[in-house]
Amino acid sequence: MIRCIFWLLASSGAAVACEAAGERMNSETQDAPAVYVAVDDIPLSQPFSILVTVCNEAAVNEMRVDAIMPAHKHGLNYTPKVTALGDGNFRVDEMLFHMPGLWVLQVDVDFRGRSLSYTSSIALK
Amino acid sequence: MRLWGPAVLVILTGAVRAEVLLSEEEIQQTLSFGPWPPSFQSDPSNRISNDARAIALGAALFTDPVLSVDGAFSCASCHDPKQAFTTSDTRALGRVLLDRNTPSLRNLSGLRWYGWGGKSDSLWAASLHPIIEEQEMAHNKESLKSALSESSFIDDFEAIFGGIQSQDPELVLVNTAKTLSAYLETLVTERTQFDDFRDALERRDLTEAAHYPETAQRGLQLFLGRGNCVFCHNSPGFSNNEFHDAGVPYFLNETEVDEGRFGGLNFLLSSAYTLGGDWSDDPDKRGAWAVRSVRRSHSDFGTFRTPSLRGVAETAPYMHNGSLNDLDAVIRHYSEIDTERLHTDGEAILSELNLSEQEIADLVAFLETLSNVTRP
Repeated sequence: MIRCIFWLLASSGAAVACEAAGERMNSETQDAPAVYVAVDDIPLSQPFSILVTVCNEAAVNEMRVDAIMPAHKHGLNYTPKVTALGDGNFRVDEMLFHMPGLWVLQVDVDFRGRSLSYTSSIALK
Repeated sequence: MRLWGPAVLVILTGAVRAEVLLSEEEIQQTLSFGPWPPSFQSDPSNRISNDARAIALGAALFTDPVLSVDGAFSCASCHDPKQAFTTSDTRALGRVLLDRNTPSLRNLSGLRWYGWGGKSDSLWAASLHPIIEEQEMAHNKESLKSALSESSFIDDFEAIFGGIQSQDPELVLVNTAKTLSAYLETLVTERTQFDDFRDALERRDLTEAAHYPETAQRGLQLFLGRGNCVFCHNSPGFSNNEFHDAGVPYFLNETEVDEGRFGGLNFLLSSAYTLGGDWSDDPDKRGAWAVRSVRRSHSDFGTFRTPSLRGVAETAPYMHNGSLNDLDAVIRHYSEIDTERLHTDGEAILSELNLSEQEIADLVAFLETLSNVTRP
């Protein structure tokens, strides 16, 4: 079943020249490289995939993806699978939102020993 | 998102007034519970899924005692087709009184997990375990092969799988389970009054939708809203197929507990009968990702799989241990829930609802429209 999704993110900072699809994710770090997340319709309680693009010249050493429902104090029941596609693109599979409501997507990116965190909010109906 | 004009329509038919009470947002949420029935998807891990011969043999084996080592009972002894494939017993009675309520066997095709604790990731594996479980059918691989070889089912079995004598006993066990699974896949609850309502909303036929009882509509509003039911009971099957702490005690006695999902995962992760294992017929191992990626937590202890609510009025008693006798008791359980019983580090969803008597009646009325039975 397909649910409408609403991206509730607010992005700051100037746009970065980068071929990225989707919405820019938030980071509390000043001058953090831009990270974009693209997702089609999210099926409730079924696995889905997203595409994350990191706009930065420095190579990404590692990316970790997670999500939580702050109001319910729980996270994902499954560990997402991250696959590097090259050119700063990452495919994330085995995502599963098992409840409707507000989810916060969390992406941690390691650049040469520097770890930055990004978030986006997704309201799943 | 589609926008309707007024979400509330008043229909005047003589002296009878009927309304669609739902807001636009509630209507959109309601559409997510359908359409019903779902289109059939063959199980790629079971090469005889949707095979007419296997379905017929599975149906025959289901009701025959040949699958218990001593011919004492059949699958249907606990999963009675005349009682919505369960019984009215609080807990299942196998060779001993088991720890859990017998789940109904309808709408099982394509689930991610099976059983209260989710110890299987396929319907054929869920069909296999009771055959060899000592407290249930109590066969072993050899005794099953022998029993089938000497039974009246041997010709049909060999017509599907070839000569039984050339098959390893474990293969006979798996083939038998896949035959049962082919049958169980066909068990789907019928359309209900709720489905007619939901489809009318989708067609924007508010005149037809307004025939759905107002008390059920109010119950649906609670279900979607203040009751928080929809967080776990969602999608067309009214279940998210995950595991939750519903505040039902899981102590079996003073010294033993029902481990629920914690034990189910331990069982599953050491099982040879999984979608990622050699007994799956799917070369692509679809569905195996869930076992590979599932997260384990000590808060899995005492959590149980969200049951579907389709046909729920036909399957009393309720909860994993059958401790609640009727739907009224279930609603009162959640309304007055003792949050002290919930995991302190678990999800924060359930809280006392303090429902009024009218609200309890409305929720029960809604749940009853998910079945084709009427209250006596």
